[in-house]
Amino acid sequence: MADESLLSDDLLRQLVAVGHVDILVGIPTLNNATTVVDVVRAAQAGIGGYFPRARSVIFNADSGSDDGTPDLVRDATTDDTGTVTASRPLRTTQRITTPYHGLPGKGSALRMIFAVADLLSADAIVVLDPDVTSLTPEWIPALVRPVRDTAADVVAPLYPRAAADGPLVTQLVRPLVRAAYGWRLQEPLMGEFGCSRRFAGHCLERPAWGSGAIPDGVDLWMTGEALAHGFRPAQTALGPRLLAHARTRPGLPDVFQQVMDAVYACLEMHASYWLTRGPAEPVPCTGTLPGAVELGPRPDVTGMAQAFARDVVALHPVLQKVLSDATLAGVTAAATAPGPLVYPDELWAATVFEFLLAYHRAVMTREHVAQTLLPLYLGRTASFLQQHGSSGPAVVQDALESLGQAFELAKPQAAAQWKKA
Amino acid sequence: MTQMVADAVRQAGVNFVDTVTMLLPRILITVSIVAVGWVIAWALKWVVRWLLIWLRFNNGCDRIGVGAVLKTADLPPADTMVSLIVFWLVWVGFLLSGVDVLGFTALEGMVRSFALFVPRLLVAIVILVLGVVCANFAWRATLIAAVNARVPSPRVVSGAVRALVLILAGAMALDQIALARTIVLTAFAIAFGAVMLGLAIAFGVGGGSIARRILDHWFPEPGQAEREEFRHL
Repeated sequence: MADESLLSDDLLRQLVAVGHVDILVGIPTLNNATTVVDVVRAAQAGIGGYFPRARSVIFNADSGSDDGTPDLVRDATTDDTGTVTASRPLRTTQRITTPYHGLPGKGSALRMIFAVADLLSADAIVVLDPDVTSLTPEWIPALVRPVRDTAADVVAPLYPRAAADGPLVTQLVRPLVRAAYGWRLQEPLMGEFGCSRRFAGHCLERPAWGSGAIPDGVDLWMTGEALAHGFRPAQTALGPRLLAHARTRPGLPDVFQQVMDAVYACLEMHASYWLTRGPAEPVPCTGTLPGAVELGPRPDVTGMAQAFARDVVALHPVLQKVLSDATLAGVTAAATAPGPLVYPDELWAATVFEFLLAYHRAVMTREHVAQTLLPLYLGRTASFLQQHGSSGPAVVQDALESLGQAFELAKPQAAAQWKKA
Repeated sequence: MTQMVADAVRQAGVNFVDTVTMLLPRILITVSIVAVGWVIAWALKWVVRWLLIWLRFNNGCDRIGVGAVLKTADLPPADTMVSLIVFWLVWVGFLLSGVDVLGFTALEGMVRSFALFVPRLLVAIVILVLGVVCANFAWRATLIAAVNARVPSPRVVSGAVRALVLILAGAMALDQIALARTIVLTAFAIAFGAVMLGLAIAFGVGGGSIARRILDHWFPEPGQAEREEFRHL
């Protein structure tokens, strides 16, 4: 059950007026005035166009925007977009926007969205990222239908990615989650997702909300919760995911730290599940991704490769505390070898798992563990892009599949060492 | 005359016998105290050693960097060091107690002074250990941050930070045991000031372009962050 103390009296009054809904679209916001209107319009068009008979609500949990985001959400209409063409909605999609109190961040916003969905008995819940500029109405049925038609509990997105698109996901989080949790989920950091009320209710009941144990990367925590507690995962093909450029984003070290904290925290939290989990299973997928991906100019990673060589030498005494002799020798050899940088899949998998063990054993502060991995991640990314920077999607997909298998091969030894620690 | 000499010799002999008679028991007591003290100190040393082994004390010291410092200085492992310190503190305590029993005026009060010195020595050791821990933490934090921030010569920067923290801790420890306090403080102030001044001059004169690069990196112009070649997420 939802914790009603999360919801203000005014919000409760609005929710009571809305009553039961079939679909709830949640949009957590913080100063997204430049993009949120298009997201709301697309959501409204998606609901009206593909679920004209459904009772629905667009719920905006705002973290205290000072750029008028809540007003824009409230006033956004589809009248001037011309996007609703499939059919006219038979019901009005309600729109509710409310500020939430408590810890700032997406986690608190999602908690409120889940609480509202629980109260409204929503059958399907969709959460959208207000920063995405490429969202189309078709994303709504893509995220809702697996929940309504195939009884999936969590619907993760699939984005078409070029080799240089999102290497933190493709090189690190995806293969690690695949090997650890035993599911071939392409986007564990679900930017957008759909889920069932059952899963939302499960998340709401987790004591981690109150204890502050949920990491900043709440998306990954939800992925882990779903996989570790037997909820049915699904994947759905969406279009390319483009983000607005206007807002200032945190730098790579901060993003990397946040993601690694979330990865480590989830693996600690779900250790009893993943330590005994076998080979990875495929996740059911709906829709198809486009065969061609816009590659863009091939990124110049020469500087990254040179920096990797310098960084490995500089960090050698710290790496000695984290990596085994064999892995450290491999990394050093990769960094100092003449010619193009080659950081093999097996070596990268061993590196990541040994960092995971270092985190688990707390050989140094966990912040230092994550920050020490960053230069190695950049080296691995440079190596991958030197090889596949201009390859087509099929070749890149094969290379990423091979990386995933390398992680799966490395897992049993890491799990054994984890248990000993 | 002969009689006088004979009386003096006899008297000297009597005095010697009296002194020996008086001192011998004390010497025996002193020897006993020292011997018993050695046995107790030795036993304590082994008890402490085994206790620390059981507690995996060396692993903890390795984790906070003390083990590496001892290794670099060609000193025994941490558990052996602690047990040796316990041995010497206990045995020197017994030794001074034994010497005090002899009743030599020149040695009076040594036990009291030693008793006052031991707590200061222990505090100094604690300061040193904490200094090593802080120095290693600062070294590692600086090294990792400097590498990720693309600061030139990260090992030099982090090594300098560690050396400064160690010098500070060493000066504090020496001050605690009041060993050449004035010299230590003066030397520390001069050395620290000289290093800082030297670094400032060197950085100002020779590192202008480096400083510009660092400042450009730390405080990028608006929109610069978006000019990355690709998105990591």
